[in-house]
Amino acid sequence: MKTPVMEMKSVSKHFAMTAALSKVSLALYPGEVHALVGENGAGKSTLIKIMTGIHRATEGEILLDGDPVTIQNTQQAQALGVAAIYQEPMVFPDLDVAENIFISHRDLGPFVKWRDMYDNARDIIRTLGVTLDVDIPASGLTLAEQQTVEIARAISLKVRVLIMDEPTASLSAHEVTQLMNVVRTLREQGVAILYISHRLEEVFEIADRVTVLRDGQHISTNPIADVTSDGLIRDMVGREIDDFFGKRTKRTRQDVLLSVRGLTKENVFTDINFDIHRGEVLCFAGLIGARRTDVGLALFGIEPADRGEVSFEGQPVEITTPEQAIALGIAYSSEDRRKLGLAMSMSITANASLPTLRKYLSGLGLIHRSDESAMAESYRQKLNIRTPSIHTTVGTLSGGNQQKVMLSKWLNVKPKLLIFDEPTRGIDVGAKAEVHQIVNELAAEGVAVIVISSDLPEVLAMADRILVMREGQQMGIFDAEDATQENIMSLATGQTTLAAAG
Amino acid sequence: MNLVRAAAAKLRSWEGFLLLILIITVIGNAIQSPVFLTVGNQINLFQLSIEKIIVALMMTLIIINAEIDLSVASMMGLSACAFGWLFLHGIPVPLAMIAAILVGTLGGAFNAFWITRVGIPSLVVTLAMLIGFRGLARVLVEDRGITGFPEWFDAMGQQPIIGPFPLALLIFFALLILLIVVLHFSAFGRYVYVIGNNAQMARYSGVDILRVKSILFIASGTVAALAGLLFAARVGAVRGDVALGFELDIITIVLLGGVSIFGGSGSIFGVLLSILIVLNLRNGMALANITGHLQTGVIGSLLILSVLIPNIRQRIRDALERYQAAR
Repeated sequence: MKTPVMEMKSVSKHFAMTAALSKVSLALYPGEVHALVGENGAGKSTLIKIMTGIHRATEGEILLDGDPVTIQNTQQAQALGVAAIYQEPMVFPDLDVAENIFISHRDLGPFVKWRDMYDNARDIIRTLGVTLDVDIPASGLTLAEQQTVEIARAISLKVRVLIMDEPTASLSAHEVTQLMNVVRTLREQGVAILYISHRLEEVFEIADRVTVLRDGQHISTNPIADVTSDGLIRDMVGREIDDFFGKRTKRTRQDVLLSVRGLTKENVFTDINFDIHRGEVLCFAGLIGARRTDVGLALFGIEPADRGEVSFEGQPVEITTPEQAIALGIAYSSEDRRKLGLAMSMSITANASLPTLRKYLSGLGLIHRSDESAMAESYRQKLNIRTPSIHTTVGTLSGGNQQKVMLSKWLNVKPKLLIFDEPTRGIDVGAKAEVHQIVNELAAEGVAVIVISSDLPEVLAMADRILVMREGQQMGIFDAEDATQENIMSLATGQTTLAAAG
Repeated sequence: MNLVRAAAAKLRSWEGFLLLILIITVIGNAIQSPVFLTVGNQINLFQLSIEKIIVALMMTLIIINAEIDLSVASMMGLSACAFGWLFLHGIPVPLAMIAAILVGTLGGAFNAFWITRVGIPSLVVTLAMLIGFRGLARVLVEDRGITGFPEWFDAMGQQPIIGPFPLALLIFFALLILLIVVLHFSAFGRYVYVIGNNAQMARYSGVDILRVKSILFIASGTVAALAGLLFAARVGAVRGDVALGFELDIITIVLLGGVSIFGGSGSIFGVLLSILIVLNLRNGMALANITGHLQTGVIGSLLILSVLIPNIRQRIRDALERYQAAR
């Protein structure tokens, strides 16, 4: 057996009182893709941060080629040949591809040798087996191309250990294939790759070995051939999930809550028509750019539609502000938690009470802190938000727990209609199952839920009915029992009309 | 033990640091001059900058909201000049005072209109109004100095009215208490922080951010106009250059108080400490016969230090952590 390029030996990291990582060992071999999986909060990010010099381990050692090293900072990690790329690529939009590739170099002398730089950039791009002009500005690149640039940057720095953190989370299926090819090329060149992903199918496609972390502990490391997806999930969540998506039971249809006719916003979406009943889960399916979120935003009053009729509980309504939507009993939980969902530097309590702050006021407009905290505490218990205290800053929570804070915030509105945009994006399997469970319970209580999701298995598991959109057009509505991944995709990609797909 | 640790954590915060500086300043001053701790001197120390610190309180909310109001000093000038002009034209003094404050409310509403309805950044709008309000003030009084206000008006600026406290100081304390309650205990204050943190998110949560911002700018204009009047009363005269350049001192005090220029964090307590430090330092230096220019230099260095110290502190903390990790 070869010696590992990089080896972590029972590494621990403590933040104040909590242990984010305890005695985790991991060996990365040249020419091997090593997948790292685990729920959010399992310690993956902490491990990466230790490897790249952002954090320092509290105990344990790091070996490089068998020699112990201490990685003090990111520059040193870079010098040792350890690099990481993330879900959101870091490129400078106004610089061109070659400039972006060589941005981190400090060893090329005081003057830029332009010709050499472009030649070298071309060489690197070629070795990755992709075609990409090195003299176009980075602002025009797709996400996948931006990631290629980041990988090329790492290669230009003679990378030996490449950490890829959720690289495919925002990529389309085609782009994922491209990225996988790049990863294979790198593997052939002898780079050790640590690949982190929530998508198990990718792990099975690309990885040679797989390590599972849970609650900061090392659970298992196995060759990929020796594991099954059920086994991995069991290791990740530490319990059996008999049904991954918690299949829902067919319910009798109640009365119509919201009815939408001919809803149109110029150049965004056209002629959207649907009814949603109390206690029903209606999923909006479609590809990125199908404008599903825009319909949600129109119904919530953020970006009102230009034309069309909306009636709510039988009354025609015109919703032009979120305040109005909330007053009617419509809640919208955004897909972008960081920008549009939560105040990251504020407490769980302050976030949870924001849309409903008026409920917690005395006559003088002062906040009843105890009532407010009691509300947050009740949601912490009900939704199983894993945190020592409701006064914790939201930014320090894992994705799944942040999503639950979002849910607390909107459930406390006591909505009649919940528009839930990408309910499980970027959260781990355990939290995913919990979120699905919550949506099922809401529906059982008579809440109508519009789920906007790009995750087809999720759509099929949750929905009573499915509305498929493509480029701002409504392509059709299925009953869940008639829907399959294939007929949804053929509508979403515009290969068929509903009549042919049905 | 936990209590001690919590107290220590509090002291390590920015407010704790300010408190330390304040204590050092006060002790230094007290040793240096026997009159420093007298009531008369303590009141005097507030009186000399009272208008600035009143406006700084309101500015705290604006900066926490991730906005800025550069037009406050010009508004102080405009309100004082409007008062002087009306007085010259024979309007009864009480009426002229009310009108001058209304000018501030209207000016604030004018700022709010461009910022919230048209969507121009407050930095740009209030920079324009810094010039606009000042220009208007100079047009009103030209290069005259208006004096000869009734005795009771001038007295308002200097005479103690309750105990040893003059009116302006009482207004400062009233505003201080009001804003502590508003910012730290009311829904409005929560909205101020949330919007400063993430305005888009606040909108998506049904917070009427335009309303909150409008109220803040209208209040800022009104408070600035009131401060302008207090200045006129204290000095007993009005000229076109009343409060010229005060906006920088005001913003400096707020930032030294630990309010983030990017919004979303800071507290009135921090700003109060910062006010006390600046006032005590100036007073101490005045008692020690240090010239005004040098005083400004010292305050300036303090600001630079306030930017550097958190940085240095972080480095020391990192070094300690590394040392502990190495053991």
